[in-house]
Amino acid sequence: MDPLILSFAVVNGLLIGGIYGGVALGLSLIFGVLRVVNFAHGSLLMLALYAAYWLQIWAGIDPYYSIIVTVPLLFGIGFMIQSVIIAPLIRRESALVVEPLSALLLTAGVYLVIDNLALMAFGPNVRSATTSFALPPVMLGQIPVNMPRLIGFGAAIVVAVGLAWWLKTTRMGRAIRAVASNRDAAALSGINVPLVYAVTFGIGASILGLFGSLLATFVPITPQVGLNFGIRSFIVVVLGGIGSLPGSIVGGLVIGVFEAIASQFVPATSAAILSLGLFVLILLVRPSGLMGKA
Amino acid sequence: MSQPALETVDLHAGYGDVRVLNGVSLTVGRGEIVALIGANGVGKTTLLRTVSGLVRAKGGTISLFGERIEALPPHDVTAAGFVQSPEGKQLFLNMLIEENLLVGAHNRRAYERRKQTLEEVYELFPILAERRTKLAGTLSGGQQQMLAVGRALMARPRALALDEPSLGLAPIMVDRLFEGIRKIRQLDIPIFIIEQNVFQVLNMADRGYVLEQGRVTLTGTGKELLENQHLKSTYLGL
Ligand SMILES: Nc1ncnc2c1ncn2[C@@H]1O[C@H](COP(=O)(O)OP(=O)(O)OP(=O)(O)O)[C@@H](O)[C@H]1O
Ligand SMILES: [Mg+2]
Repeated sequence: MDPLILSFAVVNGLLIGGIYGGVALGLSLIFGVLRVVNFAHGSLLMLALYAAYWLQIWAGIDPYYSIIVTVPLLFGIGFMIQSVIIAPLIRRESALVVEPLSALLLTAGVYLVIDNLALMAFGPNVRSATTSFALPPVMLGQIPVNMPRLIGFGAAIVVAVGLAWWLKTTRMGRAIRAVASNRDAAALSGINVPLVYAVTFGIGASILGLFGSLLATFVPITPQVGLNFGIRSFIVVVLGGIGSLPGSIVGGLVIGVFEAIASQFVPATSAAILSLGLFVLILLVRPSGLMGKA
Repeated sequence: MSQPALETVDLHAGYGDVRVLNGVSLTVGRGEIVALIGANGVGKTTLLRTVSGLVRAKGGTISLFGERIEALPPHDVTAAGFVQSPEGKQLFLNMLIEENLLVGAHNRRAYERRKQTLEEVYELFPILAERRTKLAGTLSGGQQQMLAVGRALMARPRALALDEPSLGLAPIMVDRLFEGIRKIRQLDIPIFIIEQNVFQVLNMADRGYVLEQGRVTLTGTGKELLENQHLKSTYLGL
């Protein structure tokens, strides 16, 4: 195998993997705090992609500028999903945590509704947004690095570090960690737990708003695009260690690089299956994930 | 101005169809230490959870310095000034000791004065200051209990409740903890305390209540209760 082609594959795998990790951050955060697996995670990314696309079509807003709309928009959608749809379920539960299965079924319902509404509203056509920025590849030695992907990769790192820092140092961040640690004790300490839940869900979704804008120029936008990203996110999060933000990025990088290299030797679909094998293998050795606490 | 710090009147509460409290009426006066005695599973913790708003009252009223609080959600009860250190400590074990304390000061009134309160808590329990940057999970049982009490104090309570603070502690730690509780009383914070250490707590308390079958069956000053025949035979094994 030509080393240049292989290193090109590795670089691309790192970029895509970082983006997977960034897309998965919200899933990890939401699970870490609410113990809810958000099956609709990918659907929210799909909505963000369409938001970026339509903002360009209707208002001529460049996808990179549409961030100022997609991020707050997705925050609002996430906030509402939590406070309107999931909160009543949590309120009914007398135990400390929500029954994982009932929450999963609920968010699976949200996924079905969103994806089918999108299919009705937007049709099955594949769409893509275009940016007016000239983003030529930068050269890393002899390897060309795709600029929009590099931006997505950089955003994933910045968001992961920024979010971890925010959780560590701010009053709201501390409150979120307290709720994740012990919900009743947090409430007794004066924290508005339902509000923290909604804000956490909103933050998790708003990260997808960002990536919707950043990916809109190179990901084919269809009503089904979410599921693929959703399942990848789930694999990435479990692999990296559920609830761990650095784990999400590391998990993404592992999957991204593995698939990029494997697809040099086998067709891409088989590479995806191989990555599932890797996923199972790593979990057999480290059940709590790469960066998870045992 | 003469309303008691805490007053429940004919309080009913339970879980689903299970009735636990069947008309509990009691008061904690300003500046008082009041003890609540009762057998395992009689509903002492349920009473505190109901006052805090974690369990919804099915009937009756709860007042804090004359203000009705039975309909408030837990965070508003804490903001109103009723704060409890819950049974089993319920610390944020994967957070730092100082972070546990700062979370305690989440309500706005307390947050503005958190630096000052932190100093006061560290003065009360110096071991917490020494280990402020360690994880709460690294503390011994007695130290964890001090952290739980300290976290409750961080909310600047107008009335403080302690649910079995001495549970599982070595005798020397129990003494140290009770010493801390006496000091809290000197801060003019009324204390409502649930204890299995009946003898020790009634010695310290101004008054006490005995909870049996969802109701208060006996009340009096600490001394009176210690001399009561029923209490002696049932709870002190004398
Ligand atoms: N979450 C719950 N769901 C259902 N029943 C509960 C729940 N919590 C407590 N109970 C029941 O309510 C009754 C009162 O429990 P509670 O914990 O208030 O008693 P307690 O007086 O604090 O006991 P202990 O001395 O053991 O702490 C018990 O019969 C208990 O089994
Ligand atoms: Mg109890």
